[in-house]
Amino acid sequence: MDTLIVSLLNGVIYGLLLFMVSAGLTLVFGMMGVLNFAHASFYMLGAYFAYALQGTLGFWGAVVVSPLLVGLIGVIVERFVLRRVHRYGHGHELLLTFGLSIIIAELVKLCFGNFPVNYRVPASLDFAAFAVGNSDYPFYRVLMGAVAIAMFVLIFLLLTRTRVGIVVRSAIYKPRMAEALGHNVPAVFMGVFGVGAALAGLAGAVAGAFYTTNPNMAIDLGVVVFVVVVVGGLGSLSGAMLASLLIGVVTSLAVGVDASLADLLGLIGARAWAERIGGLFTLKLSSLAATIPFALMLVVLLVRPGGLLGEKA
Amino acid sequence: MSTCRLSCLVIGAALCVATGLTFAAPVKIGLVETLSGPQASTGLLFRTAVRYGVDRMNAAGGWNGEPVQLLEYDNQGGPTGAADKLKTAIADGVQVIVQGASSAVGGQLTEDVRKYDMRNPGKEVLYVNVGAEAMELTGEKCQFYHFRFTGNAQVRVKALVLGMKQSNALGTRVYSINQNYSWGQDMESAIVEDASLGGYQVVDKTLHDVNKIQDFAPYVAKIAAANVDTVLTGNWSNDLLLLMKATRAAGLKDRFGTVFLDQPGNLGTAGDIALGHFVVHAFNPEAGGAEGERFVADYKAKSGHIPVFIEPQTAFGMAMVAEALKQVKPEHGALSVTALAHALETTRINTPLGEMSMRGADHQALLPMVVSTVARDAKFKADDTDMGFKPVKVFSASDAATPVQANCKMQRPD
Amino acid sequence: MRGRGGLGALGTVGVALLLALPWILSQGLLNASIQMLIAALFACAYNLLAGQAGMLSFGHAAYFGVGAFATVHAMNAFGGSGLLPTPLMPLAGALAGLIFGAIAGWFATQRTGAYFAMITLAIAELLHALAPHFKGLFGGEGGVSSTRMPSMGVTFGSTTQMYYLVLAWVLASLLALYLYTLTPLGRLTLGLRENSHRLRFLGYDVHKLSVLVFSISAMFSGIAGSLQVINNEAANYIVFDAGQSTAVVLNTYIGGARVFLGPAFGAALMTFFGYAVSDLTQSWLLYQGILFALVMMFAPSGLAGLFGMPDRLRRRFGTAAVVPFFALALASIVLLTAGTVFLVELLQRILSQDYRALAAGAPPWPPISLFGRQWSPAAAVTWLLPAAGVACGAATMLLARHKLALLEGRQEDTAAEPRAIEGERTPA
Repeated sequence: MDTLIVSLLNGVIYGLLLFMVSAGLTLVFGMMGVLNFAHASFYMLGAYFAYALQGTLGFWGAVVVSPLLVGLIGVIVERFVLRRVHRYGHGHELLLTFGLSIIIAELVKLCFGNFPVNYRVPASLDFAAFAVGNSDYPFYRVLMGAVAIAMFVLIFLLLTRTRVGIVVRSAIYKPRMAEALGHNVPAVFMGVFGVGAALAGLAGAVAGAFYTTNPNMAIDLGVVVFVVVVVGGLGSLSGAMLASLLIGVVTSLAVGVDASLADLLGLIGARAWAERIGGLFTLKLSSLAATIPFALMLVVLLVRPGGLLGEKA
Repeated sequence: MSTCRLSCLVIGAALCVATGLTFAAPVKIGLVETLSGPQASTGLLFRTAVRYGVDRMNAAGGWNGEPVQLLEYDNQGGPTGAADKLKTAIADGVQVIVQGASSAVGGQLTEDVRKYDMRNPGKEVLYVNVGAEAMELTGEKCQFYHFRFTGNAQVRVKALVLGMKQSNALGTRVYSINQNYSWGQDMESAIVEDASLGGYQVVDKTLHDVNKIQDFAPYVAKIAAANVDTVLTGNWSNDLLLLMKATRAAGLKDRFGTVFLDQPGNLGTAGDIALGHFVVHAFNPEAGGAEGERFVADYKAKSGHIPVFIEPQTAFGMAMVAEALKQVKPEHGALSVTALAHALETTRINTPLGEMSMRGADHQALLPMVVSTVARDAKFKADDTDMGFKPVKVFSASDAATPVQANCKMQRPD
Repeated sequence: MRGRGGLGALGTVGVALLLALPWILSQGLLNASIQMLIAALFACAYNLLAGQAGMLSFGHAAYFGVGAFATVHAMNAFGGSGLLPTPLMPLAGALAGLIFGAIAGWFATQRTGAYFAMITLAIAELLHALAPHFKGLFGGEGGVSSTRMPSMGVTFGSTTQMYYLVLAWVLASLLALYLYTLTPLGRLTLGLRENSHRLRFLGYDVHKLSVLVFSISAMFSGIAGSLQVINNEAANYIVFDAGQSTAVVLNTYIGGARVFLGPAFGAALMTFFGYAVSDLTQSWLLYQGILFALVMMFAPSGLAGLFGMPDRLRRRFGTAAVVPFFALALASIVLLTAGTVFLVELLQRILSQDYRALAAGAPPWPPISLFGRQWSPAAAVTWLLPAAGVACGAATMLLARHKLALLEGRQEDTAAEPRAIEGERTPA
């Protein structure tokens, strides 16, 4: 029972981390129609900037300033790089963001080296929040979850209750009409891209201390974030939240399940037969834990391609 | 032409032919390594160590009066790139291939070298393996022109288990968690096999996806539920760091026995979490005595940092190659790789930790192993932290060795 | 017709050059040429789907890999004789690619656009994640290895023999792909890209058509995969990696998706770039990324599209007018490249851990050796040189663009004048 509770908690917090990174991505897709391959690179940049700044500004200062820097980089990228390619179509923008992700990863390796860097949770935050069973639950994890939830609530309120949010939503939905009404739509696009990048940077600054900060961060997280965005629905914030939680919890729980298809067939008495065949039948679910998100993505794409909460394709 | 000049010419030519110095071909060593891309960090360390080894060879006079040339090839991270660069290296005249960073690349190289040597008798190349530790390279895939100068899973686990047992850190309940590929599977089998040797019981074992898991908390939950004293793992890089961090976050007091804790960046990122954990490696600067300190100082002067992680074993491997080269005389002005291979089988060198030799049956080097623990009072600190690796026990080459694998059927060119 | 004849002549010269390559190149470069040919075939097969049918697939490495593994198992099973002698091995890859492509394509083509791309990505990633678990099929980390058996009197032991085998298959496949574009099915493929709604209205089953095109593209990708396996005598599940899928997309778009041989050219160029530059510098991935980004931004129809430009400009403005523009453009590219490369290499050495350890004390910092000379990081010239290169290159580029604008402006003026002269006999 304890392991179940711990697994659920871990899954939820991991899901919330995924949400922090994918929120910006899904917003940008909804707005520009292009899936930004470089989004996970912004996550990595956030972690590295926070590491570089924590010496001079302290942990909290670094966590505040680093997303601002990343947001600025996002604005520059959108204004000078992506806008130029906008007229050639979505395919080109996608490929350009892919090129950008390579450039950012290589620049990070150039400046900070190939090995993981020494970015750690500060001692003041490194204690146990509560105990579950015979193991502790670290406070920093709870903090990460709190930051993610606060982010969700803030963005949701911003988009639905404020004037800026209405302008942004109209620019996403009907850009020409919004432009005709006198709003500066290109500036809105730039702003949303910057905010999306800043969100990813914040996620990096917060999570990089808990997990590791190394040049392969973007690649490691990038694919799972893609899956989250697709499963949740491209463009839908609540979809991203739902999908991240789903994937986080499922991945977490699957690790504890050592059953395989052979065990399932054992229910109808065919276990020995399945075990003799081997291969797919004796693969344990726990060792497949990292594969499940992709299977989920495939199923969702085939059954409901708009995602769980997205629009119909 | 006068008879005097003609006879001088003839005598001169005869002398040249007699001494075999007509066309002295320098020995070319080719490093086919992962020098870029996600896994480049380890590959670059191998390059530093191999450069150090070759520089020492040339400082001692090279071979046959010529300096040994080192050519470097980037295998772009995978076995396909390695296969291509191998062909390029052979076309450039390389006779000795050195590689270490990946067992997948090692598997590809050893097979390609074997096939090339089979198809081109008389123009063989040699594969010097300084880091790929998959068992099959000296097992199922063992071949005469492959030499491994590092440990393997069985050697590592045996030393680790005995070293931890001696420090009373092993306990009786052990959890094995490894990556789900050849290296991790080799580690798991070795951990299970050595249960009686170490006097422990493997309570549970897990194999997880390689480099795909960000959140190890579910695995830590399993470890906590198993209620063990020690966790033995062959994980490296992110998989090891995240596992250790997650264990600490959960407040578990289990001791970790690892193989790759000394990878640069690990102690810095892990911080205090790492204190008290164990690692088995081929060298510890503190355990080498005066000879060891000299080696460390020399290495630091040439490269800018003390030899860590895979660098010492690579340097020792290159020293063995250098020693074997000294015993090989040129044939028609060039190096005979077969002769070099024969010489390598009987080479012995003295490392700061003890004697190192090569086993002819499977071409696995017999080298000393050190088990160390992470402590604040270690003499050499790592990663700009206040912690370092303090040696606990040194195993001589014969103590650390494990038997030849049954499925190694080496065909010798005699 | 004249254009066709010209192209035909060019093609013949090209093929003759390729046939004569083993006599011209060293063995190392010949091996690189084999890789370039394989990459070119893969890119052209991919372009059938992406450039001609308009379906951007992000997981095409799956079909390349399936072809590769099918071939390696066939090599082990047949041993170079019997039903599939060594020269005919790529047929195994073709068959496997076709079947798997049909299955995957049936699912993937049910959606379009970004969703189609995501499905193909998901299939490839799923395969990549599952492959390590199926040791028997995919061989675990060391992969599955095999040996090229002699067949039909040829040993296939040397690089030259392999080169001719690969060349034969690649040329045959490219010819097949080209002939495909001339058939009605090829035209329908273009219709898929232009307007699939209208195709549906014309009565065609668009889904079946898409699956057919997908399968054909996967078949040729399988042939490319099997050629690589025959060359390397081993297949490893790393071939399913997302990096391989993205590499073929990169190659295709750098070369130009609208020209038939554009992807082949792009693939050959990028493969050679990786081969040549990876041994020269550690930062070659950065250069590749920058090159890709620049091509995407400034030459969106790819490098093949750039080839027509000099001729077009020459015919429009006359050679004398255009030569200074090209000289300036070339000079600016050279200066910018030199300056950037110098700066990147310098930074890479200064910021490396080893140098930072060596320079840990107070200045004077040790000099860095680059391009055969020693540069001191504290000296101004070390930084001014690349800065000057980049600045001059940028200035020259601006000058070149200004010149082009002048040319185009002058063209418009001269076009306006004759009419005025004809219209008014006597100027007012």
